[in-house]
Amino acid sequence: MDAARGAERLATARSEVHRACELLIASSPEALNNCQEVLERAVNALKEFRSFSQEVPPEPGTRPLALTLKKEVLRARRLIESLAAFYKGWERILGTMSGGYTSNGAPAAVTRQGRLCCRG
Amino acid sequence: MSSITSTLLTAAGAMDAYSQALEVVQNNVANASTPDYAAQTQSFNALQFDPTRGYSGGVAAGQIVSSRDEYAEQAVQQQTTLLGQAQQDVNSLTAMQSQFNITGSTGISAAFNSLFSAFSAWGQTPDSAVAQQNVIQQATAVASAFQQTATGLETVAQNTDQQLQSTVAGINQMATQLAGYNQQIMSGDRNDAGLDAQIHSTLDQLSNDGSISATQQPDGTWTVVLNGQTPLVVQNQVYALSTGTGAPGANAANPNAPPHLSLLAADGADITADTTSGQLGSLLNTANNVLPSYLGDSNQPGSLNTLAQAFASNVNNLLTGGYQSSGPPPVAGVPLFTYDTDNPTNVAQTLQVSSTITPAQLAAISPGPPEVSNGVPLALSQLADPTSANDEIGGLSYIQYYASMASNVGTLLDNANSNLQTQQSAVTQAQNVRQQISGVSLDDEAVLLIQFQQAYEASSKLINVLDQLTEDTMNMLPTTT
Repeated sequence: MDAARGAERLATARSEVHRACELLIASSPEALNNCQEVLERAVNALKEFRSFSQEVPPEPGTRPLALTLKKEVLRARRLIESLAAFYKGWERILGTMSGGYTSNGAPAAVTRQGRLCCRG
Repeated sequence: MSSITSTLLTAAGAMDAYSQALEVVQNNVANASTPDYAAQTQSFNALQFDPTRGYSGGVAAGQIVSSRDEYAEQAVQQQTTLLGQAQQDVNSLTAMQSQFNITGSTGISAAFNSLFSAFSAWGQTPDSAVAQQNVIQQATAVASAFQQTATGLETVAQNTDQQLQSTVAGINQMATQLAGYNQQIMSGDRNDAGLDAQIHSTLDQLSNDGSISATQQPDGTWTVVLNGQTPLVVQNQVYALSTGTGAPGANAANPNAPPHLSLLAADGADITADTTSGQLGSLLNTANNVLPSYLGDSNQPGSLNTLAQAFASNVNNLLTGGYQSSGPPPVAGVPLFTYDTDNPTNVAQTLQVSSTITPAQLAAISPGPPEVSNGVPLALSQLADPTSANDEIGGLSYIQYYASMASNVGTLLDNANSNLQTQQSAVTQAQNVRQQISGVSLDDEAVLLIQFQQAYEASSKLINVLDQLTEDTMNMLPTTT
């Protein structure tokens, strides 16, 4: 593996995180499932880059690429957090709708045991 | 006969109910492109069927149900507020960054370099009138560069003030629109889907300017508050915002400093501190925190004034400590720069070369002992690369200090641009979620939540791993090309 191959692994990681961001923007549970696979590929690409970099020092020109990757990771984190906040709030609303409030005033947990839902 | 009549009546009632349903569908189709329109459905109620008691059954039109989910609407509005803030941050910082040039070709940085070169040339020929004249010229250029930068930042401050006023005027205008819509609702238009679309379109626009919360009341009207507590609209009543300025306190370090901008509620309460998001939050932050860090306020001189004052006073001290001629009696030097010494926030704006100084009055002789004929210009030229803490600001040379000011703006702008890009994605994400859950039933919601929870936890862990890996990668990469 040469230095160009190392940079290519970094570019792959960035590209995969970018793809993950697109899936997070789509934001359906199905897209989130696909997001896991994409993020796993990004992690693997980055691990390969790091492993390679221990043998051959990375080129100075790879730093801007790493900076772009860092920004994409921050973007992905922000999108996951905003989506999580949305669904957690939703869960709290469902909890109060289905179970009211607990003794300490918090929304009741949503009970799903034995629940069956058929979708056409 | 009565059976036939009741059958016909039942059929007619059903026809009427389906006619209403058809109208709802037609309305949905007609408004397919209307901004913020939410599709409606006509619900049906089964009528009692008991022929022995005269109930012939059938169906009647029930309530018209909107597919709009207010929780999802609020999520979009919250993200839109952050987008408005990010967009305004980029606009303000772009205007500020244009006032700083660190390439060395123009502005304060270039003027500093030219003046230090002039000091050096004067040190080689301390009696040269040409070298002395060049020092005066380059010093004038430095003063001018400070004035231009200060004036440019002042212009940004004035524009920020104007933008704040126009934003507040826009908010009040939208609040008036919403109060008008509420009036229509109070007059009986509660189920008007077109009106509902207009209300939500206005709320979306309003959320760009500030953090708003909109709640539908039992009478169908919308109550809108800013920052969770300041009323903007209640029924058909508007609570208009206004802007003001906060005068420096009696014990302020700089009583003559420019005042902070403030945002006032309808009752006159100062809500500036509560307003931290949306376009309003960004404008107030720029006016009251970012710009004062350069231009100063009641509690700080601002970095631009700090630099101007430190540099000018140091140059003046070196010159006045030297001699124009050894005498006897020796003739002391005179100050090169003048500036407003009463107002630390006005130094850069007023910095200029003394109108009374002549080139021959520049003191070159360092009294020592031993006396050095070019000691002062040599000391002045060494300000470019200082060896004494007295010639530095916080451990930085004057040029380095200016560069740090400029790079700070650049870093802020870079972060703001990244944040803007992320926030645009977050708004699109929230809009997509709103679209997906529009009209979803409670059972579907439960299924979606289970699916989401599993996917979220896995993705969240992966992002943590990626974050750490990326950070480690950054640390192992060389910082210079």
